Amino acid sequence: MSAAKRVQQWATFARTWHIFDCKWQDPYESANIIKKYLMGQHKPIYHPLNDCGDVVVCINSREIALRGDEWRKRAYFHHTGYPGGASWTLAWELHNKDPTMIIKKAVYRAMKGNLQRRHTMQRLFIYHEENVPEDIMKNVSSQIRQSRLVPTRLDHIPEEEVKQYPKVMDYPKDYVLK
Amino acid sequence: MSAKNLFLNSGFVRAPLQNGVGRYVCQLQRIVLKFCKSHGGSRGMRDFIEQDLVDFAKHHPGVVVYLKPRRHRSPVIVGEYLNGDRVWMNVHNKTHEEITKWIEVLRTQQGDIASVRLRKYQYTDHPSIQGPWTPFTFKDPELNTAELPSSKFGANNRLPMSATEQLRLMFEKQKISTKTEDLKIAE
Repeated sequence: MSAAKRVQQWATFARTWHIFDCKWQDPYESANIIKKYLMGQHKPIYHPLNDCGDVVVCINSREIALRGDEWRKRAYFHHTGYPGGASWTLAWELHNKDPTMIIKKAVYRAMKGNLQRRHTMQRLFIYHEENVPEDIMKNVSSQIRQSRLVPTRLDHIPEEEVKQYPKVMDYPKDYVLK
Repeated sequence: MSAKNLFLNSGFVRAPLQNGVGRYVCQLQRIVLKFCKSHGGSRGMRDFIEQDLVDFAKHHPGVVVYLKPRRHRSPVIVGEYLNGDRVWMNVHNKTHEEITKWIEVLRTQQGDIASVRLRKYQYTDHPSIQGPWTPFTFKDPELNTAELPSSKFGANNRLPMSATEQLRLMFEKQKISTKTEDLKIAE
């Protein structure tokens, strides 16, 4: 293999580091997106036998959004292996204990259960807030688009912008706002 | 399990040394016809030898033909090729016409191609003119200087326009049109 070909090989199989912002995202929906990047399925060179998976850094995993009343209804099962060792943890309890666990389990479940899955999971980094260690952040060169729009709170919009926003009608002067 | 553990060897469609582009070199070097002089299973083979073998040898001087009579054994054709392949073919109870066709197949093929699993049905020495794909092809160059994470590259940009946004745009348009009307009246 000539020097030029060798460099071509490095370039084609180079690992890219992606960052994904979990803020207000459905973990089970975004797991399907993250999975593709972890396994390399977004690349035209993808093949199950070649090692072309990328690294994904998830941030803000504390601020994920579950659908409906799933925080109260969804249970995570664990069994210690001893008799009577079964336990069911509700999603809100699990999220209080470890805010990275729900997104981790969602990505793990989204992938097919084979020998490669645990190695692919090693390429997933999850942080519950926006602060990521410097040595990880310096590798990041790409961002994965979210699936849902992050809503903006009214008190986070500058006051001037709110005042200029078109109004359908004005409240009467004697109207008492709660 | 991966493909290397399969019994069949894998390969690509190849023509040895661009055979036939300038001149054609017959890849079959030697053919041995084994048959029995008395058994019925060699009937077709004996017919071929009586009627066609001399013509075959005359037309294809590059191919060495051997005959090997052997008592009470089924007829067999063995071809040997330039690349070292050896093809063994049983022609028991085959008719004269069938054997003529099979010998033609052996003569025109370029090795033991039947025992190769083709990985692809096409082959090229120059797979890409533009160069192979890398993670950096088709990337937005703005990403090079962007401060990640940013909402510009992270937000979903494929959603349809919201009703609120549509209303706001209609309002902006209305403001512009009223302004122009005022101007017209002034004129």
